[in-house]
Amino acid sequence: MRPQAPTARQHPEARRRSTMLALVALMSLLGVSLSSSTAVAAAPSLTIVSPANGAVIANGTSVLVDFLVSNFAFVQPGRVGQIGSPNEGHANVFLDTQYIRLLTAVEPFSLPVTSGAHTIRIQLVADNGTLLNPDVSASVGVVATHGPDEGAPRLKILSPTPLEATGHGIYVSYRIENFTLVEPRGQPNAPSEGHVQLLVGTDVVMEVIQYEPVLLVSLPEGDITIGARLVNNDDTVLANPSASATVAIHVVASSSVSLPLVSNGGIALLLAFILVVLILRRRKLAARDANARGGSP
Amino acid sequence: MRTAALALAGVLIVLVFGLSMPGVRAAGPTLTIVSPADHVVIGNGTSVAVIFVVSDFNLTPPGTGGPGPSPTEGHVDVYVDGVLTIAVSQETIDLSLASGTYTILLRLVSDNGTALSPDVTSSITVTVTQGPAVGTPRIQISYVEITYPTPGLVLGRDVTISFRVTDFALVPPGRGEPVPNEGHVAVFLDGVYYMSVMAFRPIPFSDLVDGEHTVTVRLVDDAGQALTPDASDSVTFRIQFAAIVDINPYLSITQIVLAGAIFIVLFYRQRGGNLLKILSARFGGKNA
Repeated sequence: MRPQAPTARQHPEARRRSTMLALVALMSLLGVSLSSSTAVAAAPSLTIVSPANGAVIANGTSVLVDFLVSNFAFVQPGRVGQIGSPNEGHANVFLDTQYIRLLTAVEPFSLPVTSGAHTIRIQLVADNGTLLNPDVSASVGVVATHGPDEGAPRLKILSPTPLEATGHGIYVSYRIENFTLVEPRGQPNAPSEGHVQLLVGTDVVMEVIQYEPVLLVSLPEGDITIGARLVNNDDTVLANPSASATVAIHVVASSSVSLPLVSNGGIALLLAFILVVLILRRRKLAARDANARGGSP
Repeated sequence: MRTAALALAGVLIVLVFGLSMPGVRAAGPTLTIVSPADHVVIGNGTSVAVIFVVSDFNLTPPGTGGPGPSPTEGHVDVYVDGVLTIAVSQETIDLSLASGTYTILLRLVSDNGTALSPDVTSSITVTVTQGPAVGTPRIQISYVEITYPTPGLVLGRDVTISFRVTDFALVPPGRGEPVPNEGHVAVFLDGVYYMSVMAFRPIPFSDLVDGEHTVTVRLVDDAGQALTPDASDSVTFRIQFAAIVDINPYLSITQIVLAGAIFIVLFYRQRGGNLLKILSARFGGKNA
Protein backbone atom coordinates (compact mmCIF):
# COMPACT_ATOMS: atom_id res chain seq x y z
CA MET A 1 0.00 0.00 0.00
CA ARG A 2 2.90 2.42 0.71
CA PRO A 3 4.10 2.41 -2.75
CA GLN A 4 0.64 3.40 -3.48
CA ALA A 5 0.83 6.37 -1.19
CA PRO A 6 2.89 8.55 -3.48
CA THR A 7 0.79 7.29 -6.30
CA ALA A 8 -2.21 8.27 -4.35
CA ARG A 9 -0.68 11.64 -3.64
CA GLN A 10 0.44 12.05 -7.21
CA HIS A 11 -2.85 10.99 -8.63
CA PRO A 12 -4.73 14.15 -7.68
CA GLU A 13 -1.95 16.26 -9.19
CA ALA A 14 -1.97 14.22 -12.32
CA ARG A 15 -5.67 14.44 -12.38
CA ARG A 16 -5.48 18.19 -11.82
CA ARG A 17 -2.96 18.53 -14.61
CA SER A 18 -5.08 16.38 -16.83
CA THR A 19 -8.08 18.40 -15.94
CA MET A 20 -6.24 21.63 -16.63
CA LEU A 21 -5.02 20.31 -19.94
CA ALA A 22 -8.46 19.11 -20.80
CA LEU A 23 -9.89 22.46 -19.80
CA VAL A 24 -7.37 24.32 -21.90
CA ALA A 25 -8.04 22.02 -24.78
CA LEU A 26 -11.75 22.44 -24.29
CA MET A 27 -11.41 26.21 -24.13
CA SER A 28 -9.33 26.18 -27.25
CA LEU A 29 -11.83 24.00 -28.99
CA LEU A 30 -14.64 26.18 -27.74
CA GLY A 31 -12.85 29.28 -28.88
CA VAL A 32 -12.19 27.84 -32.28
CA SER A 33 -15.68 26.51 -32.43
CA LEU A 34 -17.18 29.82 -31.45
CA SER A 35 -15.10 31.78 -33.88
CA SER A 36 -15.83 29.44 -36.73
CA SER A 37 -19.51 29.27 -35.89
CA THR A 38 -19.68 33.08 -35.88
CA ALA A 39 -18.25 33.20 -39.36
CA VAL A 40 -20.74 30.68 -40.62
CA ALA A 41 -23.84 31.88 -38.84
CA ALA A 42 -23.51 35.63 -39.38
CA ALA A 43 -26.28 36.50 -41.80
CA PRO A 44 -25.88 39.16 -44.48
CA SER A 45 -27.56 42.44 -43.72
CA LEU A 46 -28.50 45.42 -45.83
CA THR A 47 -29.36 48.96 -44.75
CA ILE A 48 -30.32 51.97 -46.83
CA VAL A 49 -28.56 54.93 -45.26
CA SER A 50 -29.92 57.63 -47.54
CA PRO A 51 -32.46 58.93 -48.44
CA ALA A 52 -34.56 58.75 -45.31
CA ASN A 53 -37.92 57.12 -45.54
CA GLY A 54 -40.49 59.65 -46.75
CA ALA A 55 -37.85 62.10 -47.95
CA VAL A 56 -38.88 64.69 -50.52
CA ILE A 57 -36.64 64.73 -53.58
CA ALA A 58 -37.06 68.32 -54.69
CA ASN A 59 -36.42 70.42 -57.78
CA GLY A 60 -36.71 67.49 -60.18
CA THR A 61 -33.33 66.12 -59.20
CA SER A 62 -32.26 62.51 -59.10
CA VAL A 63 -32.22 60.68 -55.81
CA LEU A 64 -28.85 59.59 -54.46
CA VAL A 65 -29.10 56.21 -52.76
CA ASP A 66 -26.46 55.23 -50.22
CA PHE A 67 -26.50 51.82 -48.55
CA LEU A 68 -24.47 49.56 -46.31
CA VAL A 69 -23.96 45.81 -46.52
CA SER A 70 -22.38 43.52 -43.95
CA ASN A 71 -21.39 39.86 -44.12
CA PHE A 72 -21.81 39.85 -47.84
CA ALA A 73 -19.23 40.18 -50.58
CA PHE A 74 -20.17 41.88 -53.82
CA VAL A 75 -18.79 40.11 -56.86
CA GLN A 76 -19.41 40.22 -60.55
CA PRO A 77 -21.85 37.52 -61.57
CA GLY A 78 -20.78 35.17 -64.28
CA ARG A 79 -17.05 35.22 -63.69
CA VAL A 80 -14.92 32.49 -65.14
CA GLY A 81 -14.93 29.48 -62.83
CA GLN A 82 -17.28 31.12 -60.39
CA ILE A 83 -18.49 28.91 -57.55
CA GLY A 84 -21.41 30.29 -55.63
CA SER A 85 -21.12 31.08 -51.96
CA PRO A 86 -23.99 31.91 -49.63
CA ASN A 87 -22.36 35.15 -48.56
CA GLU A 88 -21.44 36.55 -51.93
CA GLY A 89 -23.35 37.82 -54.89
CA HIS A 90 -24.72 41.13 -56.03
CA ALA A 91 -27.70 43.41 -55.48
CA ASN A 92 -30.72 44.19 -57.60
CA VAL A 93 -32.37 47.58 -57.39
CA PHE A 94 -36.05 48.17 -58.07
CA LEU A 95 -37.84 51.47 -58.50
CA ASP A 96 -41.42 50.59 -57.58
CA THR A 97 -41.71 47.35 -59.52
CA GLN A 98 -39.21 48.16 -62.23
CA TYR A 99 -35.81 46.49 -62.23
CA ILE A 100 -33.35 49.31 -62.82
CA ARG A 101 -29.90 48.47 -61.45
CA LEU A 102 -27.55 45.54 -60.91
CA LEU A 103 -24.97 46.49 -58.33
CA THR A 104 -21.63 44.78 -57.94
CA ALA A 105 -20.14 47.32 -55.58
CA VAL A 106 -21.24 49.00 -52.39
CA GLU A 107 -21.26 52.52 -53.74
CA PRO A 108 -23.87 55.28 -53.73
CA PHE A 109 -25.83 55.45 -56.95
CA SER A 110 -28.16 57.98 -58.52
CA LEU A 111 -31.68 57.31 -59.73
CA PRO A 112 -33.80 59.64 -61.86
CA VAL A 113 -37.36 59.72 -60.56
CA THR A 114 -40.52 61.26 -61.93
CA SER A 115 -42.88 63.34 -59.82
CA GLY A 116 -44.83 61.40 -57.25
CA ALA A 117 -44.30 58.77 -54.59
CA HIS A 118 -41.85 55.97 -55.25
CA THR A 119 -40.41 53.00 -53.46
CA ILE A 120 -36.75 52.12 -53.88
CA ARG A 121 -35.87 48.54 -52.99
CA ILE A 122 -32.46 46.90 -52.88
CA GLN A 123 -32.25 43.13 -52.70
CA LEU A 124 -29.20 40.94 -52.23
CA VAL A 125 -29.01 37.91 -54.49
CA ALA A 126 -26.62 35.06 -55.00
CA ASP A 127 -24.20 34.86 -57.90
CA ASN A 128 -26.71 32.94 -59.97
CA GLY A 129 -29.40 35.54 -59.29
CA THR A 130 -31.42 33.50 -56.80
CA LEU A 131 -32.69 35.12 -53.66
CA LEU A 132 -30.90 34.57 -50.38
CA ASN A 133 -32.61 32.47 -47.76
CA PRO A 134 -33.90 34.28 -45.79
CA ASP A 135 -34.44 37.17 -48.15
CA VAL A 136 -32.22 40.20 -47.51
CA SER A 137 -33.64 43.42 -48.82
CA ALA A 138 -34.29 46.99 -47.76
CA SER A 139 -36.64 49.59 -49.14
CA VAL A 140 -37.33 53.25 -48.68
CA GLY A 141 -40.18 55.48 -49.81
CA VAL A 142 -39.53 58.88 -51.35
CA VAL A 143 -41.65 61.61 -52.90
CA ALA A 144 -40.24 63.34 -55.94
CA THR A 145 -41.31 66.79 -57.09
CA HIS A 146 -40.20 69.55 -59.41
CA GLY A 147 -41.00 72.03 -56.67
CA PRO A 148 -38.90 73.10 -53.72
CA ASP A 149 -38.72 70.93 -50.63
CA GLU A 150 -39.55 73.64 -48.15
CA GLY A 151 -41.67 76.74 -47.84
CA ALA A 152 -45.40 77.08 -48.15
CA PRO A 153 -46.65 77.80 -51.68
CA ARG A 154 -47.90 81.34 -52.06
CA LEU A 155 -49.63 83.33 -54.77
CA LYS A 156 -50.20 87.07 -54.80
CA ILE A 157 -52.04 89.06 -57.43
CA LEU A 158 -50.00 92.11 -58.41
CA SER A 159 -52.35 93.50 -61.03
CA PRO A 160 -55.12 94.60 -61.28
CA THR A 161 -55.20 96.48 -58.03
CA PRO A 162 -58.28 96.33 -55.81
CA LEU A 163 -61.30 98.27 -57.10
CA GLU A 164 -59.50 99.13 -60.30
CA ALA A 165 -61.78 100.18 -63.14
CA THR A 166 -61.11 98.41 -66.37
CA GLY A 167 -62.58 97.47 -69.70
CA HIS A 168 -63.64 94.04 -70.84
CA GLY A 169 -60.06 92.82 -71.13
CA ILE A 170 -57.34 92.96 -68.54
CA TYR A 171 -53.91 91.50 -67.88
CA VAL A 172 -53.65 89.65 -64.59
CA SER A 173 -50.16 89.61 -63.08
CA TYR A 174 -49.25 87.44 -60.15
CA ARG A 175 -46.23 86.30 -58.20
CA ILE A 176 -45.70 82.69 -57.17
CA GLU A 177 -43.39 81.53 -54.40
CA ASN A 178 -42.32 78.06 -53.31
CA PHE A 179 -44.21 76.41 -56.14
CA THR A 180 -43.19 75.15 -59.57
CA LEU A 181 -45.56 75.23 -62.51
CA VAL A 182 -45.62 72.01 -64.52
CA GLU A 183 -47.73 70.81 -67.39
CA PRO A 184 -50.60 68.68 -66.12
CA ARG A 185 -50.87 65.49 -68.14
CA GLY A 186 -52.32 63.03 -65.73
CA GLN A 187 -49.22 62.52 -63.64
CA PRO A 188 -49.52 61.99 -59.87
CA ASN A 189 -49.67 64.92 -57.50
CA ALA A 190 -46.43 66.03 -55.92
CA PRO A 191 -45.68 68.62 -53.25
CA SER A 192 -45.21 72.21 -54.39
CA GLU A 193 -45.85 71.55 -58.06
CA GLY A 194 -48.91 72.07 -60.22
CA HIS A 195 -50.48 74.86 -62.23
CA VAL A 196 -52.53 78.04 -61.90
CA GLN A 197 -56.26 78.45 -62.29
CA LEU A 198 -57.73 81.87 -63.05
CA LEU A 199 -61.25 82.61 -61.93
CA VAL A 200 -63.88 85.21 -62.68
CA GLY A 201 -66.16 85.18 -59.71
CA THR A 202 -66.35 81.53 -58.77
CA ASP A 203 -65.92 80.19 -62.29
CA VAL A 204 -62.58 78.88 -63.49
CA VAL A 205 -61.96 80.44 -66.87
CA MET A 206 -58.38 79.51 -67.58
CA GLU A 207 -55.56 77.16 -66.58
CA VAL A 208 -52.01 78.22 -67.20
CA ILE A 209 -48.44 77.23 -66.39
CA GLN A 210 -46.94 80.64 -67.11
CA TYR A 211 -45.39 83.15 -64.78
CA GLU A 212 -46.04 86.03 -67.21
CA PRO A 213 -49.23 88.12 -67.04
CA VAL A 214 -52.33 86.44 -68.40
CA LEU A 215 -54.88 88.28 -70.54
CA LEU A 216 -58.47 87.85 -69.52
CA VAL A 217 -60.96 88.99 -72.14
CA SER A 218 -64.71 89.44 -72.44
CA LEU A 219 -65.11 90.22 -68.78
CA PRO A 220 -68.70 90.87 -67.71
CA GLU A 221 -69.63 94.42 -66.80
CA GLY A 222 -70.01 95.53 -63.24
CA ASP A 223 -68.28 94.74 -59.98
CA ILE A 224 -66.56 91.38 -60.31
CA THR A 225 -63.88 89.42 -58.55
CA ILE A 226 -60.80 88.12 -60.30
CA GLY A 227 -59.13 85.16 -58.64
CA ALA A 228 -56.02 83.05 -59.07
CA ARG A 229 -55.08 79.90 -57.21
CA LEU A 230 -52.48 77.19 -57.20
CA VAL A 231 -53.74 73.67 -57.82
CA ASN A 232 -52.26 70.19 -57.92
CA ASN A 233 -51.75 68.21 -61.10
CA ASP A 234 -55.22 66.72 -60.69
CA ASP A 235 -56.84 70.18 -60.27
CA THR A 236 -57.40 69.85 -56.55
CA VAL A 237 -56.96 73.17 -54.81
CA LEU A 238 -54.13 73.52 -52.32
CA ALA A 239 -55.37 73.66 -48.78
CA ASN A 240 -52.94 76.41 -47.94
CA PRO A 241 -54.95 79.68 -47.88
CA SER A 242 -52.01 81.70 -49.11
CA ALA A 243 -51.99 79.65 -52.30
CA SER A 244 -54.93 81.62 -53.67
CA ALA A 245 -55.80 85.28 -54.02
CA THR A 246 -58.67 87.40 -55.25
CA VAL A 247 -59.11 91.01 -56.22
CA ALA A 248 -62.30 92.99 -56.77
CA ILE A 249 -62.43 95.15 -59.86
CA HIS A 250 -65.02 97.22 -61.72
CA VAL A 251 -65.58 96.51 -65.37
CA VAL A 252 -67.05 99.44 -67.26
CA ALA A 253 -68.91 99.21 -70.54
CA SER A 254 -66.86 99.30 -73.67
CA SER A 255 -66.52 102.82 -74.93
CA SER A 256 -65.91 104.00 -78.45
CA VAL A 257 -64.29 107.10 -77.09
CA SER A 258 -61.03 107.51 -78.88
CA LEU A 259 -58.67 110.31 -79.79
CA PRO A 260 -60.01 110.75 -83.35
CA LEU A 261 -63.52 110.76 -82.01
CA VAL A 262 -62.67 113.36 -79.39
CA SER A 263 -60.83 115.54 -81.85
CA ASN A 264 -63.52 115.28 -84.51
CA GLY A 265 -66.24 115.97 -82.01
CA GLY A 266 -64.32 118.88 -80.51
CA ILE A 267 -63.74 120.47 -83.88
CA ALA A 268 -67.40 120.06 -84.78
CA LEU A 269 -68.45 121.70 -81.51
CA LEU A 270 -66.01 124.56 -82.06
CA LEU A 271 -67.31 125.14 -85.56
CA ALA A 272 -70.87 125.07 -84.30
CA PHE A 273 -70.00 127.60 -81.60
CA ILE A 274 -68.31 129.91 -84.13
CA LEU A 275 -71.31 129.63 -86.39
CA VAL A 276 -73.70 130.53 -83.61
CA VAL A 277 -71.58 133.50 -82.57
CA LEU A 278 -71.36 134.73 -86.12
CA ILE A 279 -75.11 134.42 -86.63
CA LEU A 280 -75.81 136.26 -83.40
CA ARG A 281 -73.39 139.04 -84.29
CA ARG A 282 -74.89 139.25 -87.73
CA ARG A 283 -78.35 139.65 -86.34
CA LYS A 284 -77.11 142.22 -83.86
CA LEU A 285 -75.46 144.23 -86.64
CA ALA A 286 -78.57 143.96 -88.72
CA ALA A 287 -80.65 145.27 -85.83
CA ARG A 288 -78.18 148.14 -85.29
CA ASP A 289 -78.36 149.07 -88.99
CA ALA A 290 -82.09 149.06 -88.83
CA ASN A 291 -82.08 151.36 -85.83
CA ALA A 292 -79.64 153.65 -87.58
CA ARG A 293 -82.00 153.90 -90.55
CA GLY A 294 -84.79 155.12 -88.34
CA GLY A 295 -86.38 152.13 -86.99
CA SER A 296 -87.30 150.47 -90.24
CA PRO A 297 -85.32 147.39 -90.91
CA MET B 1 -6.87 -6.18 -72.34
CA ARG B 2 -5.46 -4.56 -69.27
CA THR B 3 -4.27 -1.62 -71.33
CA ALA B 4 -7.66 -1.14 -72.87
CA ALA B 5 -9.29 -1.24 -69.47
CA LEU B 6 -6.85 1.33 -68.18
CA ALA B 7 -7.44 3.58 -71.18
CA LEU B 8 -11.21 3.29 -70.74
CA ALA B 9 -10.91 4.12 -67.05
CA GLY B 10 -8.72 7.12 -67.92
CA VAL B 11 -11.23 8.39 -70.42
CA LEU B 12 -14.05 7.98 -67.93
CA ILE B 13 -12.09 9.83 -65.26
CA VAL B 14 -11.30 12.67 -67.63
CA LEU B 15 -14.94 12.77 -68.72
CA VAL B 16 -16.21 12.83 -65.15
CA PHE B 17 -13.75 15.51 -64.11
CA GLY B 18 -14.49 17.46 -67.25
CA LEU B 19 -18.20 17.46 -66.56
CA SER B 20 -17.88 18.15 -62.87
CA MET B 21 -15.44 21.07 -63.16
CA PRO B 22 -17.27 24.20 -64.24
CA GLY B 23 -14.03 26.00 -64.85
CA VAL B 24 -13.34 24.01 -67.91
CA ARG B 25 -16.75 24.08 -69.46
CA ALA B 26 -16.49 24.54 -73.18
CA ALA B 27 -19.66 26.64 -73.54
CA GLY B 28 -17.78 29.93 -73.81
CA PRO B 29 -18.82 33.39 -72.64
CA THR B 30 -22.42 34.48 -72.93
CA LEU B 31 -24.13 37.84 -72.70
CA THR B 32 -27.77 38.40 -71.83
CA ILE B 33 -29.72 41.62 -71.57
CA VAL B 34 -31.90 41.21 -68.49
CA SER B 35 -33.72 44.52 -68.64
CA PRO B 36 -35.47 46.26 -70.31
CA ALA B 37 -37.51 43.82 -72.30
CA ASP B 38 -37.33 43.85 -76.06
CA HIS B 39 -39.66 46.39 -77.75
CA VAL B 40 -40.46 48.08 -74.47
CA VAL B 41 -41.55 51.73 -74.28
CA ILE B 42 -39.50 53.93 -71.97
CA GLY B 43 -41.74 56.73 -70.72
CA ASN B 44 -41.36 60.24 -69.38
CA GLY B 45 -38.15 60.81 -71.31
CA THR B 46 -36.16 58.99 -68.69
CA SER B 47 -32.83 57.41 -69.47
CA VAL B 48 -32.79 53.79 -70.59
CA ALA B 49 -31.29 51.57 -67.91
CA VAL B 50 -29.89 48.52 -69.69
CA ILE B 51 -28.97 45.67 -67.36
CA PHE B 52 -26.99 42.71 -68.64
CA VAL B 53 -25.27 39.65 -67.22
CA VAL B 54 -22.41 37.63 -68.57
CA SER B 55 -21.22 34.13 -67.94
CA ASP B 56 -17.73 32.70 -68.12
CA PHE B 57 -16.36 36.16 -68.65
CA ASN B 58 -14.55 38.53 -66.35
CA LEU B 59 -15.54 42.14 -66.76
CA THR B 60 -12.66 44.52 -66.41
CA PRO B 61 -12.56 48.24 -67.10
CA PRO B 62 -11.18 48.96 -70.56
CA GLY B 63 -7.44 49.25 -70.53
CA THR B 64 -6.91 47.34 -67.32
CA GLY B 65 -6.72 43.80 -68.63
CA GLY B 66 -3.68 41.60 -68.93
CA PRO B 67 -1.28 41.63 -71.83
CA GLY B 68 -2.71 40.30 -75.02
CA PRO B 69 -6.32 39.61 -75.88
CA SER B 70 -8.10 37.16 -73.62
CA PRO B 71 -11.24 35.29 -74.67
CA THR B 72 -12.56 35.34 -71.14
CA GLU B 73 -11.78 38.84 -69.98
CA GLY B 74 -12.69 42.25 -71.27
CA HIS B 75 -15.58 44.66 -71.38
CA VAL B 76 -18.81 45.40 -73.21
CA ASP B 77 -19.13 47.73 -76.17
CA VAL B 78 -22.52 49.40 -76.45
CA TYR B 79 -23.91 50.30 -79.85
CA VAL B 80 -26.98 52.47 -80.35
CA ASP B 81 -28.36 52.13 -83.86
CA GLY B 82 -25.02 50.76 -84.98
CA VAL B 83 -22.95 53.54 -83.49
CA LEU B 84 -20.45 52.69 -80.77
CA THR B 85 -21.66 54.79 -77.85
CA ILE B 86 -19.86 53.61 -74.76
CA ALA B 87 -17.63 50.85 -73.40
CA VAL B 88 -18.58 49.55 -69.96
CA SER B 89 -17.55 46.98 -67.41
CA GLN B 90 -20.55 47.44 -65.12
CA GLU B 91 -23.75 45.52 -65.58
CA THR B 92 -25.97 48.60 -65.63
CA ILE B 93 -25.82 51.11 -68.47
CA ASP B 94 -27.72 54.39 -68.42
CA LEU B 95 -28.41 55.70 -71.90
CA SER B 96 -29.93 59.14 -72.33
CA LEU B 97 -31.84 59.02 -75.59
CA ALA B 98 -34.18 61.45 -77.30
CA SER B 99 -37.65 60.41 -78.38
CA GLY B 100 -37.54 57.66 -80.96
CA THR B 101 -37.00 53.96 -81.53
CA TYR B 102 -33.52 52.58 -81.07
CA THR B 103 -31.69 49.31 -81.40
CA ILE B 104 -29.25 48.77 -78.56
CA LEU B 105 -26.61 46.14 -79.15
CA LEU B 106 -24.09 44.92 -76.57
CA ARG B 107 -20.93 43.08 -77.59
CA LEU B 108 -18.35 41.32 -75.44
CA VAL B 109 -14.89 42.36 -76.45
CA SER B 110 -11.41 41.68 -75.18
CA ASP B 111 -9.56 44.36 -73.33
CA ASN B 112 -7.98 45.59 -76.56
CA GLY B 113 -11.43 45.98 -78.12
CA THR B 114 -11.38 43.00 -80.43
CA ALA B 115 -14.56 40.99 -80.65
CA LEU B 116 -14.58 37.48 -79.29
CA SER B 117 -14.60 34.50 -81.62
CA PRO B 118 -17.34 33.55 -82.03
CA ASP B 119 -18.95 36.95 -81.61
CA VAL B 120 -20.96 37.32 -78.38
CA THR B 121 -23.70 39.91 -78.63
CA SER B 122 -27.18 40.67 -77.38
CA SER B 123 -29.56 43.35 -78.60
CA ILE B 124 -32.95 44.88 -77.90
CA THR B 125 -35.16 47.51 -79.45
CA VAL B 126 -36.64 50.20 -77.26
CA THR B 127 -38.85 53.22 -77.89
CA VAL B 128 -38.34 56.38 -75.88
CA THR B 129 -41.18 58.85 -75.43
CA GLN B 130 -41.59 62.04 -73.46
CA GLY B 131 -45.07 60.86 -72.56
CA PRO B 132 -45.97 58.08 -70.20
CA ALA B 133 -45.07 54.54 -71.13
CA VAL B 134 -48.61 53.34 -70.66
CA GLY B 135 -52.05 54.88 -70.74
CA THR B 136 -54.51 56.05 -73.33
CA PRO B 137 -54.06 59.68 -74.40
CA ARG B 138 -57.06 61.92 -73.90
CA ILE B 139 -57.85 65.59 -74.39
CA GLN B 140 -60.67 67.56 -72.89
CA ILE B 141 -61.77 71.15 -73.28
CA SER B 142 -61.92 72.35 -69.74
CA TYR B 143 -62.96 75.98 -69.90
CA VAL B 144 -64.29 78.46 -72.45
CA GLU B 145 -63.62 82.01 -71.49
CA ILE B 146 -66.06 83.43 -71.05
CA THR B 147 -69.49 82.01 -71.45
CA TYR B 148 -71.50 83.41 -68.65
CA PRO B 149 -73.96 84.48 -67.39
CA THR B 150 -75.48 82.53 -70.29
CA PRO B 151 -73.67 79.26 -70.95
CA GLY B 152 -72.59 78.90 -74.56
CA LEU B 153 -73.07 82.58 -75.29
CA VAL B 154 -70.02 84.77 -75.73
CA LEU B 155 -70.68 88.50 -75.56
CA GLY B 156 -67.66 89.51 -77.52
CA ARG B 157 -65.56 88.64 -80.50
CA ASP B 158 -62.64 87.16 -78.53
CA VAL B 159 -62.72 83.74 -76.90
CA THR B 160 -60.08 81.78 -75.03
CA ILE B 161 -60.36 78.04 -74.71
CA SER B 162 -58.47 75.95 -72.16
CA PHE B 163 -57.83 72.26 -72.50
CA ARG B 164 -56.16 69.52 -70.56
CA VAL B 165 -54.50 66.35 -71.70
CA THR B 166 -54.00 63.04 -69.96
CA ASP B 167 -51.31 60.44 -70.62
CA PHE B 168 -49.80 62.55 -73.38
CA ALA B 169 -46.79 64.86 -73.64
CA LEU B 170 -46.95 68.00 -75.76
CA VAL B 171 -43.77 68.51 -77.75
CA PRO B 172 -42.90 70.59 -80.81
CA PRO B 173 -43.37 68.69 -84.07
CA GLY B 174 -40.56 67.74 -86.39
CA ARG B 175 -38.49 65.82 -83.90
CA GLY B 176 -38.50 62.61 -85.91
CA GLU B 177 -40.60 59.53 -86.13
CA PRO B 178 -43.86 59.31 -84.22
CA VAL B 179 -43.62 57.70 -80.80
CA PRO B 180 -46.42 56.69 -78.44
CA ASN B 181 -48.12 59.21 -76.19
CA GLU B 182 -46.27 62.20 -77.56
CA GLY B 183 -47.20 64.91 -80.06
CA HIS B 184 -49.14 68.15 -80.20
CA VAL B 185 -52.66 69.53 -80.44
CA ALA B 186 -54.31 70.39 -83.75
CA VAL B 187 -57.02 73.03 -83.39
CA PHE B 188 -59.91 73.31 -85.81
CA LEU B 189 -62.39 76.20 -85.99
CA ASP B 190 -65.65 75.29 -87.69
CA GLY B 191 -63.98 72.25 -89.22
CA VAL B 192 -61.08 74.19 -90.69
CA TYR B 193 -57.53 73.80 -89.39
CA TYR B 194 -56.77 76.82 -87.25
CA MET B 195 -53.46 76.28 -85.43
CA SER B 196 -51.13 73.87 -83.66
CA VAL B 197 -50.56 74.03 -79.95
CA MET B 198 -47.37 72.52 -78.59
CA ALA B 199 -47.62 73.50 -74.95
CA PHE B 200 -50.14 73.66 -72.19
CA ARG B 201 -51.68 77.10 -72.64
CA PRO B 202 -55.05 78.63 -73.45
CA ILE B 203 -55.98 78.89 -77.14
CA PRO B 204 -57.03 82.43 -78.13
CA PHE B 205 -59.57 83.12 -80.84
CA SER B 206 -60.13 86.70 -81.94
CA ASP B 207 -62.44 88.66 -84.21
CA LEU B 208 -64.99 85.90 -84.49
CA VAL B 209 -68.10 86.83 -86.41
CA ASP B 210 -71.54 86.60 -84.89
CA GLY B 211 -73.14 83.18 -84.86
CA GLU B 212 -72.35 79.66 -83.75
CA HIS B 213 -68.81 78.37 -83.85
CA THR B 214 -67.37 74.94 -83.13
CA VAL B 215 -63.84 74.46 -81.91
CA THR B 216 -62.28 71.01 -82.06
CA VAL B 217 -59.01 70.07 -80.43
CA ARG B 218 -57.34 66.84 -81.45
CA LEU B 219 -54.21 65.08 -80.27
CA VAL B 220 -51.90 64.25 -83.16
CA ASP B 221 -48.51 62.61 -83.42
CA ASP B 222 -45.30 64.19 -84.61
CA ALA B 223 -46.36 63.80 -88.24
CA GLY B 224 -49.71 65.46 -87.57
CA GLN B 225 -51.68 62.26 -87.86
CA ALA B 226 -54.59 61.63 -85.53
CA LEU B 227 -54.00 59.05 -82.85
CA THR B 228 -55.58 55.63 -82.86
CA PRO B 229 -58.02 55.65 -81.20
CA ASP B 230 -58.87 59.25 -81.91
CA ALA B 231 -58.43 61.65 -78.99
CA SER B 232 -60.38 64.84 -79.52
CA ASP B 233 -62.96 67.11 -77.97
CA SER B 234 -65.23 69.84 -79.29
CA VAL B 235 -67.17 72.78 -77.95
CA THR B 236 -69.82 74.93 -79.58
CA PHE B 237 -70.56 78.48 -78.56
CA ARG B 238 -72.38 81.46 -79.99
CA ILE B 239 -70.86 84.84 -80.59
CA GLN B 240 -73.21 87.73 -80.00
CA PHE B 241 -71.45 90.99 -80.27
CA ALA B 242 -73.22 94.40 -79.89
CA ALA B 243 -71.41 96.44 -82.47
CA ILE B 244 -70.61 100.05 -81.62
CA VAL B 245 -71.53 102.51 -84.41
CA ASP B 246 -68.58 104.51 -85.55
CA ILE B 247 -69.75 108.15 -85.69
CA ASN B 248 -66.49 109.58 -86.93
CA PRO B 249 -67.65 109.80 -90.58
CA TYR B 250 -70.78 111.62 -89.48
CA LEU B 251 -68.71 114.03 -87.43
CA SER B 252 -66.56 114.76 -90.44
CA ILE B 253 -69.62 115.54 -92.57
CA THR B 254 -70.92 117.75 -89.78
CA GLN B 255 -67.62 119.60 -89.69
CA ILE B 256 -67.82 120.24 -93.44
CA VAL B 257 -71.39 121.47 -93.17
CA LEU B 258 -70.53 123.73 -90.25
CA ALA B 259 -67.49 125.11 -92.05
CA GLY B 260 -69.65 125.83 -95.10
CA ALA B 261 -72.23 127.54 -92.96
CA ILE B 262 -69.58 129.70 -91.32
CA PHE B 263 -68.23 130.61 -94.69
CA ILE B 264 -71.65 131.60 -95.91
CA VAL B 265 -72.33 133.68 -92.83
CA LEU B 266 -69.00 135.43 -93.15
CA PHE B 267 -69.56 136.01 -96.84
CA TYR B 268 -73.02 137.34 -96.19
CA ARG B 269 -71.71 139.61 -93.50
CA GLN B 270 -68.79 141.14 -95.41
CA ARG B 271 -69.36 140.88 -99.10
CA GLY B 272 -72.88 139.62 -99.03
CA GLY B 273 -73.95 142.73 -97.13
CA ASN B 274 -72.27 144.98 -99.63
CA LEU B 275 -73.77 143.01 -102.43
CA LEU B 276 -77.19 143.49 -100.93
CA LYS B 277 -76.56 147.16 -100.63
CA ILE B 278 -75.45 147.35 -104.26
CA LEU B 279 -78.41 145.35 -105.38
CA SER B 280 -80.82 147.42 -103.33
CA ALA B 281 -79.22 150.58 -104.62
CA ARG B 282 -79.57 149.44 -108.25
CA PHE B 283 -83.11 148.39 -107.70
CA GLY B 284 -83.79 151.72 -105.96
CA GLY B 285 -82.13 153.65 -108.83
CA LYS B 286 -84.23 151.95 -111.46
CA ASN B 287 -87.36 152.61 -109.52
CA ALA B 288 -86.36 156.21 -109.06
